[in-house]
Amino acid sequence: MEDKEKLQINNYKLQIVDLYKLFITRIKSVELKTWIKRLGFYIKIWWMMSKNAFMMYFNQKSILAIFLAGKIFRFTFFIIFLYFLVSGSKGLAGYNTNQIIFFFLSFNVIDITSQFLFREVYRFRTLVVSGDLDLILTKPINPLFRILFGGADVIDLITIPPVVAATIYMGAKLGPSAVSVFLYILLIINSLLISTAFHILVVSMAIITLEIDHTVMIFRDLSRLGTVPIDVFKQPLRGFITYVALRGFITYVVPIGIMLSFPAKAFLGLLDWNSVIASFVFGITSIFMTLRFWNFAIKKYTSASS
Amino acid sequence: MNKYLQVGKISLRQEIAYPINFIMWRVRNVIQILLVYFLWDAAFSSPGRILFGYDRDKILTYIFGIMLVRAFVLSSKSMDVAGEISRGELSNSLVKPINYFKYWLSRDLASKVLNLLFATIEIVVLYFVLKPPVFLQGNLLLIFLFMSSIIFAILLFTILLFIVSSVTFWAPEAGWGAHFLLTVVIVEFLSGVLFPLDVFPLAVQKIINLTPFPYLVFFPLQVYLGKLTSPELVKGFVVDALWLIVFMYFLNKIWKKGLKAYEGYGR
Repeated sequence: MEDKEKLQINNYKLQIVDLYKLFITRIKSVELKTWIKRLGFYIKIWWMMSKNAFMMYFNQKSILAIFLAGKIFRFTFFIIFLYFLVSGSKGLAGYNTNQIIFFFLSFNVIDITSQFLFREVYRFRTLVVSGDLDLILTKPINPLFRILFGGADVIDLITIPPVVAATIYMGAKLGPSAVSVFLYILLIINSLLISTAFHILVVSMAIITLEIDHTVMIFRDLSRLGTVPIDVFKQPLRGFITYVALRGFITYVVPIGIMLSFPAKAFLGLLDWNSVIASFVFGITSIFMTLRFWNFAIKKYTSASS
Repeated sequence: MNKYLQVGKISLRQEIAYPINFIMWRVRNVIQILLVYFLWDAAFSSPGRILFGYDRDKILTYIFGIMLVRAFVLSSKSMDVAGEISRGELSNSLVKPINYFKYWLSRDLASKVLNLLFATIEIVVLYFVLKPPVFLQGNLLLIFLFMSSIIFAILLFTILLFIVSSVTFWAPEAGWGAHFLLTVVIVEFLSGVLFPLDVFPLAVQKIINLTPFPYLVFFPLQVYLGKLTSPELVKGFVVDALWLIVFMYFLNKIWKKGLKAYEGYGR
């Protein structure tokens, strides 16, 4: 009798385990399916919005050509300047010409990709001031997604492939290890994550303060400090306090160092593991923090003028 | 004359009316200068180094000089002329008993005074924070020539802005694009705002020196630093004056043609 009971109990146990497994599998497959479906939906939306933005640019071909020429000139001039400066001074802060140019190219990969993805943020203030944000909030998509990715920039899209090609070419000349390349790619993705977090912060602040233009432009100006390695921003022997304050400021407070210098440093094998881990922690934390701030800020939207 | 003085005063009050905008603009200028400063500071980290004809004192004076010259030459309201034309707001000015160029020049001067004031404060603050070695010019003649070259540069840049803005007579939507290409990107690199043009090979320098751009920032600073010989000074001022004459002639022609093409859209 006891054996029979034990067997029955075991059977029950097995049935419960099977049911649990079935339940979990179902849940997982349903979640996964929903997730994939949502992802496909958002990719489709992004493509539609980007197509509209591109069509607007292509309607004004002469303006497109002028801005493209301006961006190419700026990029070329700065590379030429860096080349002459570093080769003339026989190195800069311990880096040779190729390494400095690699830093500059890496900066451009991150900067141009961010500009390409988040161009719509520059137009966000008008939506808040005019109350037109209502029209986005009532749509069945995540408003933050629409605000961040609503108007991809075709000029930046055109410039991304040559900049990436130049980065690969220059990177190959530096003879990196496989681990360095892997870390570099991961840190570039992390930089884009930090850039996303920054843009979320900007639009959140725009709801509260109605100010966006200067915040973005000051960030971009600060970002330009990342065109060269952060090691440049030091004054050995004098101004020690300034050195610590400024370098600490641009590395951690405004994460220019993490965002723009660390990937290239990792590529050159000059970044310690603590800094690598700190970068990822910073990237992930910044996204979570700014998303929370966005949830807080959107509740402050008054829909004035609508 | 009095009415242009009033325009200048009103323009000054307008700038002060939006202090955050103005302060943010100045903050941006300081950040841009910091990049250039530290870049050159790193290049001259070895004591006694002479590079591209500069020692440490002269190059850091050049960087600080950029702040001052830039505030006086490149800060300008005339870029808004393009917007006035494309929005049809030029019509308002055309029916008023004022000279449109003098009107904008008055606004420009007001803006320059304010920018110069702030640039001076910034220089003092940065000087105490960074403590750079500074080269002080003691030759009065060179100081006089430096100031003259600044006046030339102001006129040259104002007329250049008007010429570029004139594009909007024929292509109303291209105003900002044209300014971005010519008066932002090209001027930024070829005027010496980001770096002294001596970094380029001599052949490239000779070509650049024939364009109007070096006379906006690079040439005045070269005069101040005493880096030019007498023949180079004379040649510089002659080329500068020639560009001024060419620009004035060209603007006169293009403006008259532009006014004939102007249709006052939006009004």
